[in-house]
Amino acid sequence: MAAKQNSGNNKLAMTILKGRTFIVLIILLIFFSITADNFMSAGALLTVAKHVALYGILAIGMTYVIITGGIDLSVGSVAGLAGMIAGGLIQEGLTLKMFGVTLYFSVPMIVLITVLLGALMGMINGLVITKFNVAPFIATLGTMYIWRGFANIRSNGATFSELAGSEGLGNTGFEVFGRNLAGTAIPCGVLILALIAVAAGLVLKKTPFGWHVLSIGGNEKASKLSGIKVDRVKIWVYAFSGFCSAVVGIIATSQLVSATPKTGESWEMNAIAASVLGGTSMAGGVGTIGGTIVGAFVIGVINDGMTMCGVTEFWQKIIRGLVIIIAVIIDQVQRNLQAKMALQARNENK
Amino acid sequence: MKGFKKVLAMLLAVAMVAAMVMGCSGGGGDAEEEKTEEKTEAEAPTEEEGGSEEVLKGGGSNIIYIITPSVSNPAFKAEADTATAKAKELGYEVKAASHDDDPTKQTELFDSAIADKAAAIICDNAGADATVEAVKKARDAGIPTFLIDREINAEGVAISQIVANNYQGAKAIAEKFVEAMGEKGKYVELLGKESDTNAGVRSSAFHEVVDQYPDMEMVAQQTANWEKTEAYDKMEAMLQANPDIEGVMCGNDTMLEGVCAALQAAGKKLPVIGVDGSDEAAALIKSGDATGTALQQFAVIAETAVVQADKYLKEGSTGAEEKQLIDCIAITSENVDKLSGFVFTE
Repeated sequence: MAAKQNSGNNKLAMTILKGRTFIVLIILLIFFSITADNFMSAGALLTVAKHVALYGILAIGMTYVIITGGIDLSVGSVAGLAGMIAGGLIQEGLTLKMFGVTLYFSVPMIVLITVLLGALMGMINGLVITKFNVAPFIATLGTMYIWRGFANIRSNGATFSELAGSEGLGNTGFEVFGRNLAGTAIPCGVLILALIAVAAGLVLKKTPFGWHVLSIGGNEKASKLSGIKVDRVKIWVYAFSGFCSAVVGIIATSQLVSATPKTGESWEMNAIAASVLGGTSMAGGVGTIGGTIVGAFVIGVINDGMTMCGVTEFWQKIIRGLVIIIAVIIDQVQRNLQAKMALQARNENK
Repeated sequence: MKGFKKVLAMLLAVAMVAAMVMGCSGGGGDAEEEKTEEKTEAEAPTEEEGGSEEVLKGGGSNIIYIITPSVSNPAFKAEADTATAKAKELGYEVKAASHDDDPTKQTELFDSAIADKAAAIICDNAGADATVEAVKKARDAGIPTFLIDREINAEGVAISQIVANNYQGAKAIAEKFVEAMGEKGKYVELLGKESDTNAGVRSSAFHEVVDQYPDMEMVAQQTANWEKTEAYDKMEAMLQANPDIEGVMCGNDTMLEGVCAALQAAGKKLPVIGVDGSDEAAALIKSGDATGTALQQFAVIAETAVVQADKYLKEGSTGAEEKQLIDCIAITSENVDKLSGFVFTE
């Protein structure tokens, strides 16, 4: 009887632990609605969602990467370079010296080129990691510097500011990605976040590719032996992360209606934090897209809430750091409890 | 595997196109200029229409948002603190935030201010071009923005743009530098971040003065990105290459600190100048390690902005031009005692 009572308690504890990030989010929302006057309004919450969209999308790609047991430090730089590529194509077009002409693309074409290049940048990460056996931390640290360097070279450190395009060149409309959907109060970025999240969530849970990703993170050797093409899966995962980063680069650039090479500096940290808060294990093999989105919202609510509360910059940093560490500690507690429960269940069966 | 290779081939093709974008962008210079000219002409009338005549009432609350770069830099701390104190004195609630020089974060802070129905925004911005959209958004929400310390590349969007006269300040302190060098000798220059207009303005003002003296010779010019550690490293490297350096010009005081540290380590004392007027530079001037600095009156600038915001909200006008320059003060060992926390007391 005692054992049963105990396992009942454990189950309750598990439920609470599993939903912990969500619970934290609710508590934060209540806390800030009390402390900051104008926080609990549709406008303010949509603003938060708009801000979350940026590193939320980065975090989705990052979650895939971390699940395979890797890390992608280059996401912020890819976002920056993608923004510069898109901005440059609008402002300067593509000059083909040998033909002496300058081509201007329409905005959808520019977006397509940019996200494909982003995916390619990610793919390069994947190739370096798998084919040359470089640790993901090192490989992506390297490309982080390389892409940032290219972003600066593209404009020599300056900003592209003429992103409104012109009718004559047929490249107007770039600013839509940073604005609200026509006729609604919903920011375009939030819609993109939702689309990518749903797609990425389904692929991870329901398709063989998703299972392979999870399986590689759980046990790479076993996966290889059971016939999974580990290298290929990994390359695609990094390509997906690059794609997500490029999308973020486009949205961020569109919001500012100008492309600066600084875009995305240190955003990789927010993306990693959102993934980890959402229950993705740095050891690989464990993680969900839903959890990551909740994690991203926790970070977003903390950031905007603290600003609207008037918390100073330095305290914001401390609080952000504490939240991440506490989240990981709770994660460990959950894992231990899970192991204990599994053991208990086995004993009871005997 | 075949499909995979196909996709890879396609991506590589895209990469080549990208390489051309990178490589050939220089060629389109003429076309670009024409384009910009057209644009300016087209934009001019709209600006007048949208004109700054319409008075912004503020978002409805009594809150002033003060948005600055990281206050870990004492100059911005002085700015944020003075503005906060003045706004509180005038009866406003203050929320101070930092954008860490990230334009996207700055946009987020502007969004928060709009959601918070701020009465006005005081901002030391994160980029001349990248800030325009954020200020416009605040304007659309009826919130007036008062820019301090750095300008933006648009007029008629912000209510005031109050900045230090970098040009005048750099020239004034360059005069003192020439004096300290005895109008001759080899010197080096450390530049600020190249993407920052102030870096260029200060450097050209320095040279406008120094280049008049034919016996002054610049043997090296490097960027240290406004940073202390970078300035220290660059200075050590330059000393290695040119042991006979007799003076150093720095684009700001943080780099001046790095340079003085490197000179101390090498057992040297040379004329060194900076721009900003930080307490750290003041201490170095007092100890004789540095020659002088041009005080940008951050506190005066911040206070002026708050006073104008208050006046604008109450009377519908600041009574001043949008662009305003506040003169710098050349600080040397003679007047350094009057400087503390970016405030110069006569």
